[in-house]
Amino acid sequence: MAESICRNLRDGALEGEHAPALSIKDSIATPFGSDVFNYVLTKLSANILAGKSQSKGIVLVAFSRSPSFYVDFLKTNGIDLVSAKKWISILDCYTDPLGWKDSLKGPLDTKNFSLKDPIEAVLFRHVRNLDLLFSAIIEMGEALAGQGKGRFSVSIDLVTEMLRHASLSSVANLLSKVRSHDRISSTFWLLHSDLHEIRAIAALEYLSSMVGSLEPMNLSLNGQRGDLEKLSLLEQNSRKGKFHVRIKRRNGRVRVMCEDFHIEQSGINFTPVSSEEGIINQGLLPKVQFNLQLSEKERIDRAKVVLPFEHQGNGEPLHIYDGRRSLSEGKDEKASVSTENLQTNEDSGKGEIIYFRDSDDEMPDSDEDPDDDLDI
Amino acid sequence: MAAMKTRMSSFSRNTSVAPVPQAPGLKSGPNGTIFLSSGIPDLDKILGGGFPLGSLVMVMEDTEAPHHMLLLRNFMSQGLVHNQHLLYASPSKDPRAFLGTLPSPVLSKDDRSHNRDPEQLQERGLRIAWQYKKYFGEPQPNFDSHRDTKHEYCNDFDLRKPLERHFLTAQNICCLSIQDPPNLAAFRDCCAKFLAQFSRNNSSISCAGRVAIQSFCAPQCEYSNMEWDMLSFIRSLKGMIRDSNAVAVITFPPSLLSPSSSKRWQHIADTLLSVKAIPDEDKELANLLTGYQDMIGLLNVHKVANVNTQVTWNCFLADLICLRVLLSSTLFCIALQVVHIHPNIHTCDKFSNNAFHCCGVSC
Repeated sequence: MAESICRNLRDGALEGEHAPALSIKDSIATPFGSDVFNYVLTKLSANILAGKSQSKGIVLVAFSRSPSFYVDFLKTNGIDLVSAKKWISILDCYTDPLGWKDSLKGPLDTKNFSLKDPIEAVLFRHVRNLDLLFSAIIEMGEALAGQGKGRFSVSIDLVTEMLRHASLSSVANLLSKVRSHDRISSTFWLLHSDLHEIRAIAALEYLSSMVGSLEPMNLSLNGQRGDLEKLSLLEQNSRKGKFHVRIKRRNGRVRVMCEDFHIEQSGINFTPVSSEEGIINQGLLPKVQFNLQLSEKERIDRAKVVLPFEHQGNGEPLHIYDGRRSLSEGKDEKASVSTENLQTNEDSGKGEIIYFRDSDDEMPDSDEDPDDDLDI
Repeated sequence: MAAMKTRMSSFSRNTSVAPVPQAPGLKSGPNGTIFLSSGIPDLDKILGGGFPLGSLVMVMEDTEAPHHMLLLRNFMSQGLVHNQHLLYASPSKDPRAFLGTLPSPVLSKDDRSHNRDPEQLQERGLRIAWQYKKYFGEPQPNFDSHRDTKHEYCNDFDLRKPLERHFLTAQNICCLSIQDPPNLAAFRDCCAKFLAQFSRNNSSISCAGRVAIQSFCAPQCEYSNMEWDMLSFIRSLKGMIRDSNAVAVITFPPSLLSPSSSKRWQHIADTLLSVKAIPDEDKELANLLTGYQDMIGLLNVHKVANVNTQVTWNCFLADLICLRVLLSSTLFCIALQVVHIHPNIHTCDKFSNNAFHCCGVSC
């Protein structure tokens, strides 16, 4: 659950251990990963401000959103930014990641933030050089946490962007260096799982100690529904979804948890798994292997079946049905054939069942015990 | 009656005793193989004596659990206790630091927490043994096990106590980080140099060697996307190992390789083990498996080395059996216990990871 993830990040790393690392994965079906990322960021910031967490500051490596977005976001979520320069720094890899603007316009002032801005944002222009990125992160973090043993957290806005610029092994190298650095308390990052190969996702999950993946509320069945149903599903998925979490614990076990989430104006809300889902599922056509209802055609055909015993129940005289062909057919055929070839029919030696009833007043079913006439 | 006539045939059984290996920590087995211990007594029993010299052992990791480290730690500690040479390679920056976490052997035999003595079981009175296989000991391999009073072939290791310093400062340990080098050529040369010390040309073995490679295809290593290079490295290592009195243990996470590579690596191993994590606080699993609270994971034996023989060692490979890695509460040792799961119960869902992992092992 989201609470336990935030607690894990707040508690940070033990001495000699790797820092806890959270991977948030989303996909186009539930594109709310950034909301979850913001939620975790808010919670961690609140913990840092309250002094409850092991880390003293956050270094936010922003690839997909500008620093001003984060300033506004934190303001609207009630995080006090008065002393923000002391506990949060943003490494701006969004504005000019490859240094193109710089080379076009010539040297301008490196910060596109005025000095009055609450958060320290440093422009970073060399996202392809991950060693440089790592040293920039460490530098900023150490400035926040001070000398000595203070620790800081690192959050990476979008690892998907990093993988565009650098190879998987160098990104993995960076992340593992971040995790094993002794001044880093915790780290978390976001990625879009449908933009990567399975191998890349597996590698990032390998490097993280907690994996949170967002999934749509109802996994859709294939194309058996009408458009109205599809629209209503889309509507449901556009605001809600499921949040699956796998936490690797220290004793080697894996804790698997699941929650529902709901996007609202104010942000994201997590609720325990509701039972609504079961009801919704029953409304859809359940896949069973046999049909309990008869269709109209099937009912008519059932009425037409000739029963293989004497009374057809419709008042006709008794005809013994010998099972080879239907009654009416047999009559016509016999009549036509007999007028033409009497001789050949008799000589052909066709098999025919001739049934002589034992007795006409024998009741077909009797309540008497047939053993009654035994003299014992 | 008639006395036993001596056979008049040109064939006579070679009853000469196999040479007892001089070096400590080695045991001779059937068909002229010599074993060295894996560091876990239960695992040695299951494998029929240990890892045969000249074989390649591969351990498939689970990305969600660090159990392969337990196997490696015991393997390495056992080698150091027996004064065998060790080469350790890992993708971390400072592999020497890992040596500090090696466990120390439990010294007295009386502290054994589990006792497989069948006579003791019978003394406990009437028991309804519906899973009767559990209560009889596994069939003992019928070769002699010399128990030297000073050096036992296989020790129990206490995971809470670190190995004594004097074992670690000896000259026979070589540590290597495989994270930075862009290709595996330097690593291969280092292995060749190390294994040259134990080449198999004389009949008596002075010393055996152990090679432990951890997380061979970890994503932070630069060579990790060069799958053919990694495969050819393993093949050449296997060739070098065959010619020497050493055993190599390589651990790797199969979900980080492409499926075909993962299959190739599984085939190239002589002995193939896999470890898996178990979900925490899972009520269904707790009902299914006894002793769930003490379990930390599952160990599966997929393949056992067939050296000099066509007959496979019977270690219940055919059944759907999971071995559990158990940390008993009295001693933090690794104990393995065979877990019998009814074949109709669909346990694969419990033990398989998220759909995104392409794990090549089925439980």
